[in-house]
Amino acid sequence: MESYIPKLLILIPALPLLAAVVVAMLGKRVLREQSHWPVALALAGSCLASVLLIFAVQEAQKNHQHERVVRLWTWAAVEGQGAGGGEQGASTQYSVLSSPAFRMDIVLRADSLTAIMLGMVTFISTLVVIYASGYMHGDPGYWRFFAYVAFFVFSMTMLVSVSNFVLLYVFWEAVGLCSYLLIGFWFEKPAAAAAGMKAFLVNRVGDFGFALGVFLLWTTFGTLDFHDSKVQTVPVADGHVTTIIHFDPQKVEDPTIPGRVEHGIFGNWRLTKHPFEESSVITAICLLLLVGACGKSAQFPLHVWLPDAMEGPTPVSALIHAATMVTAGVYLVVRCTPLYAASPYAQEVVSALGGFTALLAALIALTQTDLKRILAYSTVSQLGFMFLALGTGSQLGVTAGMFHLFTHAFFKALLFLGAGSVMHAMGGVIDLCQFGGLRRKMPTTHWTFLFGCLALSGIIPFAGFWSKDAILAAVAEKASEAQGSIFGYLYYVATFTAFLTAFYTFRAYFLTFHGAERIPKEAGHHAHESPAAMTGPLVILAIGALAVGAYFQWTGDFLGRKDYPGFLMQTPSLTALQAENVAEGAEHGPSHLAVALISTVAALAGIGLAWLFYIARRDLAESVAKLAKSLGLYALSHGKFFIDEIYMVMIVRPLEALAALLALADRYAIDGLVNAFGAFPRALGAMLRPLQGGLVQYYALVMALGVLALLGTLLW
Amino acid sequence: MPPELVALQSFLSIGAVLFGVGLIGFLSRRNMIVMFLSAEMMLQGVSLSLVAWGRYHNDLGGQMLVIFIIAVAACEAAIALALVLMLFERKGNLDIAVWQELRESNQPPFEEDPPESEEAPADWPHLTPSGVLPKSVAEKESYRRKV
Repeated sequence: MESYIPKLLILIPALPLLAAVVVAMLGKRVLREQSHWPVALALAGSCLASVLLIFAVQEAQKNHQHERVVRLWTWAAVEGQGAGGGEQGASTQYSVLSSPAFRMDIVLRADSLTAIMLGMVTFISTLVVIYASGYMHGDPGYWRFFAYVAFFVFSMTMLVSVSNFVLLYVFWEAVGLCSYLLIGFWFEKPAAAAAGMKAFLVNRVGDFGFALGVFLLWTTFGTLDFHDSKVQTVPVADGHVTTIIHFDPQKVEDPTIPGRVEHGIFGNWRLTKHPFEESSVITAICLLLLVGACGKSAQFPLHVWLPDAMEGPTPVSALIHAATMVTAGVYLVVRCTPLYAASPYAQEVVSALGGFTALLAALIALTQTDLKRILAYSTVSQLGFMFLALGTGSQLGVTAGMFHLFTHAFFKALLFLGAGSVMHAMGGVIDLCQFGGLRRKMPTTHWTFLFGCLALSGIIPFAGFWSKDAILAAVAEKASEAQGSIFGYLYYVATFTAFLTAFYTFRAYFLTFHGAERIPKEAGHHAHESPAAMTGPLVILAIGALAVGAYFQWTGDFLGRKDYPGFLMQTPSLTALQAENVAEGAEHGPSHLAVALISTVAALAGIGLAWLFYIARRDLAESVAKLAKSLGLYALSHGKFFIDEIYMVMIVRPLEALAALLALADRYAIDGLVNAFGAFPRALGAMLRPLQGGLVQYYALVMALGVLALLGTLLW
Repeated sequence: MPPELVALQSFLSIGAVLFGVGLIGFLSRRNMIVMFLSAEMMLQGVSLSLVAWGRYHNDLGGQMLVIFIIAVAACEAAIALALVLMLFERKGNLDIAVWQELRESNQPPFEEDPPESEEAPADWPHLTPSGVLPKSVAEKESYRRKV
């Protein structure tokens, strides 16, 4: 059976792109308030295609085709610039080998990892677009919003499906651009414009590291493709040759087909026959890629942009800054697992960074009063959890990280959309101090938000429990394996963070939905439940938040055939990990139950404490706050550990001073030089100007004298 | 001195005098028509010299050139007079000095002589008007050229 994977793979990004173009062209004049239709339909189509793709990928895996690479066209080919690691490459693994061409193909790939990411992205974005059609109603930039969102989904789907580091970088930047445009969507608002700029600039720092990592990959391996490929030149008539490129692993490895084999970075050849060896170069690459991942996934020290990004419309916060784009960094690290596996040091850095960020963000979230900002810090914290899991480098860890990414997308999108619903009803007010007791006014929002909170806190049987538990189990396992390493501490950090997560989540929940009913005057007559377009997605996501974790974990069933880890582990770049673990005979049974028990107790303790402080004994909360204030801890948390201020003093101000200095140099040195060039002919002109007196006789006299002078020179 | 040379000398002298008078007139007079006449005079001086030289060398080229010059001068006179007329209509004055304003900006004007007296003689002889005074239409008056 000829697989329809290529068609699906092209269709998934093509539909949102088409919708983006249609809305961008027709939105302003023709579609106007109907601009959401093309986008919603295209995304629903993409979502359907993604689900089909998951089935198709599973089908292919039965035939041991774990990846499928689809080439669209060749973007660039430069003779004599490349190095693919040819047949003789076995001896020198990392040296650049001579080979005739650098070529860049627009290549998509389908494997388990991509299929899962595609399914998650398109599903969440479809729901968010439906929600946004209610939320953004009446906004003057209605069509613009949907055009941006569609373009974002195109970029994100391309980001997870390309099979080349350069293209990955391209779409990495493209999602950054969409993020910038959507954070600054209400650009008349100075805070929104500044937040967009901040996000873009902070991401530049990360992207710089990413770019360096890609350069280093190129100089080390001589290729940027993920996959193996074989370039076969076939002579045709008149001495011309035509080039055929094979991606099918069987054909690549078939010795009867002549041609030059290019070994991709995560291709079969390197994964199975020549795994990466530990070296400082690999560590450097990993750390540089991690810088990029930190920027996009808002990890310390580049996390500062994400909370500010909440200035954008709430659906954007839900889609881009909680569920999808910020997971790009996690995706990158997972995709590069074979590299990280070769560098235990880099893995420790990933874990330590993730654990630290998780704790830091959770501590900050404790005292924030802006509902969306609490959720933003919780996103940072949960992304930290994912990195923590990835850094363990075990099969359990990587699948747990990806699993958390998957479940987190559901419940965090749910929480953000719930917060948006509250904000919608409260007339744009999002400060926890100004409203409360909304559970009767907004029953659907209340219940769905509660589901999201339970999932985020990790209460059994909600989705968050399974994935968070898996992460904690992975860390615990790593800690017991590597005694005395940093993972021992990280386990306690993670458990404590889980407790904090439950506390701050339910703090927000109780303050918003319980207690005396308070409604700010800005709300006016809006203070009622949101329209069906908004509550519908909430309900669907709430079901997801309740069920996805249990469904995929408990029933051990990913869409009917394989359990989630089993399906994910079919990704070629993760198979090495699997082999390694099987060889070690890893067992993660015994500690698992205890870990689950401890994390549940921590979460329940957090919820209980929040209940005690914000429902039962408000005075207790006040006195604790007073105590914390007197110790300065409260200010530390409320002020977000003053990281923004530190950056302001250490980076922004010196750079501003430098910029001012350069502006002066520009104005006086460079502009001065240019002006001098202009001033010289002007001065010359000023000298000659008196000749033009305007009196005809004078001109005639000069002419006569000139003739005389001419005659004089001729005669003498 | 052979008589041809004597004749040539006198012709050339007259030509030179004509040219010099024209040049001086051009440089010293400010009335545009007089300046134009002076320029014509210079042209005639040159023409005379050409004819004289042509006769001296027994060459018709000189005369031919002069006929050519006369033809060109006729055209030039038509254009120049039209130009003078237009300039006069603009300012109501034939004095070339009023066109000084065409100088470079920010250059001072030349010291101006007091304008040539333009007062009409006080008492022109005139006929006693007879018949009905033609009606003057204010609008038509405004269209009429000012000078």
